[in-house]
Amino acid sequence: MWQAFCDEFYLCFLKPAGDGSLRGEYLLRGLGVTLEVALFAILLGLVIGFLVAVIRSSHNKYGYFSFLNAVSKVYLTIIRGTPMVVQLLITYYIILKSVDSKVLIAILAFGINSGAYQAEILRAGIESIDPGQMEAGRALGLSYWRAMLKIILPQAVRNVLPALGNEFIVLMKDTSIVGYIALIDLAKGGDIIRSQTYSVYLPYLTVAAVYLMLVMTFTWLLGKLERHLRNTGADPVHNDS
Amino acid sequence: MSETLLKIENLKKSFGKLEVLKGLSTEIRKGEVVVMIGPSGGGKSTFLRCMNLLEQPTEGSIIFDGIDIVSADDKTKNRVRSEMGMVFQHFNLFPHLTILDNITLAPKLVRGASAAEAERKAMELLRLVGLEDKAKAYPQQLSGGQKQRVAIVRSLAMEPKVMLFDEPTSALDPEMVGEVLDVMKDLAKHGMTMVVVTHEMRFARDVATRVLFLEGGRIAAEGTPAEIFDGRHDGRLGEFLGKVRVGTEFRDKVKSELFDILKDREVSEDELARLKDLLAGNNPEK
Ligand SMILES: Nc1ncnc2c1ncn2[C@@H]1O[C@H](COP(=O)(O)OP(=O)(O)O)[C@@H](O)[C@H]1O
Ligand SMILES: [Mg+2]
Repeated sequence: MWQAFCDEFYLCFLKPAGDGSLRGEYLLRGLGVTLEVALFAILLGLVIGFLVAVIRSSHNKYGYFSFLNAVSKVYLTIIRGTPMVVQLLITYYIILKSVDSKVLIAILAFGINSGAYQAEILRAGIESIDPGQMEAGRALGLSYWRAMLKIILPQAVRNVLPALGNEFIVLMKDTSIVGYIALIDLAKGGDIIRSQTYSVYLPYLTVAAVYLMLVMTFTWLLGKLERHLRNTGADPVHNDS
Repeated sequence: MSETLLKIENLKKSFGKLEVLKGLSTEIRKGEVVVMIGPSGGGKSTFLRCMNLLEQPTEGSIIFDGIDIVSADDKTKNRVRSEMGMVFQHFNLFPHLTILDNITLAPKLVRGASAAEAERKAMELLRLVGLEDKAKAYPQQLSGGQKQRVAIVRSLAMEPKVMLFDEPTSALDPEMVGEVLDVMKDLAKHGMTMVVVTHEMRFARDVATRVLFLEGGRIAAEGTPAEIFDGRHDGRLGEFLGKVRVGTEFRDKVKSELFDILKDREVSEDELARLKDLLAGNNPEK
C-alpha cells in the first residue's frame, strides 16, 4: 500500500518529463500562472469596477455622465449575460488574435469580466453611503471627485469588503478554464500529468488541495483585514455619525 | 451698519414642478446672527442649502464677495463653499476618520495646509470646545453633543466667513442641547456671521440680531427678536409662535412632573431613552 503510493507519487511528480524537467514542475509553473492571471485580473477588475461604479452611481444620484453611463450599461449586460469561457475564446480567437502572450490575453479577459461584477458590488457600496457624507464634503469645499475619493469610496469599500473578497475567490477559481486557450495553469498542469501517467487520483486531488489552500489563505487574510478595520473603530456599518 | 456679506435677491428654487422657494430677498451683514424660524416644509433648509450652493437655485442671485455665485463656474463654487461653514442636523462626521482627521481633511486638501499646521490648529480649536482628549477617537465613540461640537470645529478649521446651521440641536438628547448652543453663543460673541435654522426660541431671543420667519417659501415676517417674539402678530406667525410657546411650556410642565414622579424609582435605560425622545419632541417611531 505504502509502496504503491510512493510509486505513484514518483510517477506523477518526480519522474522527468519529456524535456528533462520533473513532472511536478507542471504544477509549480501552473500555480505561478494561476496566481499571475488571478492577481492582475483582480487589479484590472478593480480599476474598471471603480470607474464604472462611480459613473453609474453618479448618474443615478446626480444625473452626471449620461453617455458613459449608457456605455457602462451595455458593458455590464454583455459581460454578465455571456459565459466566461465564451468571453475567453472570443478574446483569444477574435479580439486579440494578434497578441502572442496567452497570459496577457487571460488577464485581459478575466479582468474585463470581473470588472463588471466588481462594479456592481462597489456601486451598491457607494449607494449605501448616507448622502449627508457627500454633502458634508462638498460643504467643506471639496470637489465632487475629491469627496468621492476621500470620503465616499473608503467607506463604500469597507462596507462591501466581504462581497468583494468573495468575487476575488470566484475569479481565482474561474481562471481554471484557461486550458481552453491552451494556457497551462494549475488545473491544466494536473491534467497534463494525468494524460502522461494515466494516473487520476494524485494529480487531480493535489490540484484540488492547492486551490483549497489558496482560497483558505485568502479568506483568512480577508478576515484579518475586516477585524482590523473593526478594531480601529472605523467600522462605518454600525455607525450613524 | 456693517458691510454686506451675502446679498440674496429674488431667490427661487423648484424641485421638478414643486416650487419650494418663491423669490426670497435679504442681506446678511458681517457679524450678524440671523435666525430662521418657521413651520416644517417652509423651505428653511432649502434656503440655507442654496446659500452655499449645495442646491443650485433655479432663479435669482446671491452676491458673495462681490460676485454672483449662482452663475459662477464649478471651481469658484468650490472655493465659495470652502469659505462658508455648514453644520447639519445629523452632524455628518466622516465615520472612517478620527476626529483629528475629520477636522484636518479639508484644510489639507482644499487649502494645501501642511499636516503639522492643520493639526496644530485643529487641536487648538478642539481645546476651545473642550474635546482635545478626543482627537484620536472615532466619531461613533462620541455622544451626540460631542459630535456636533466636532462638526462645528471641522467647519471653523476652514476659517469661514459665515457659518450656516441647519437645526444643529434637533437630533440631540435634551441634556446635550446646552453644550452645543454654548459653543454657538461663543462664536456669535466673537463676531462670527451666522445663519441659524432652529426651534430653540430662547437661543433666538438671546443671540439673534435678526429673525426671519419663513413660511410657504417666502419670508413672511422679519424683525429683531423683540419685534418677533414680544410683538402681537396675527396670521401665520402668531399661530406658529403660539404653537411653539404652548409646546415648550407644555413640555417643561410634563418634564418637571415626570421628574417628581420618577425621582425615587428605578427606570430602565430603554424607558429613559424613550422618555428623552418624547421630551425632545422626536417621533419615537423614527
Ligand atoms: N431634494 C428635494 N427634492 C424634492 N423636494 C424637496 C427636496 N428637498 C426639499 N424638498 C421639499 O421642499 C419643501 C421644503 O423643504 P425644506 O427646505 O426641507 O423645509 P424646512 O427645512 O423648512 O422644513 C418640502 O416640501 C420638501 O418636501
Ligand atoms: Mg429643515
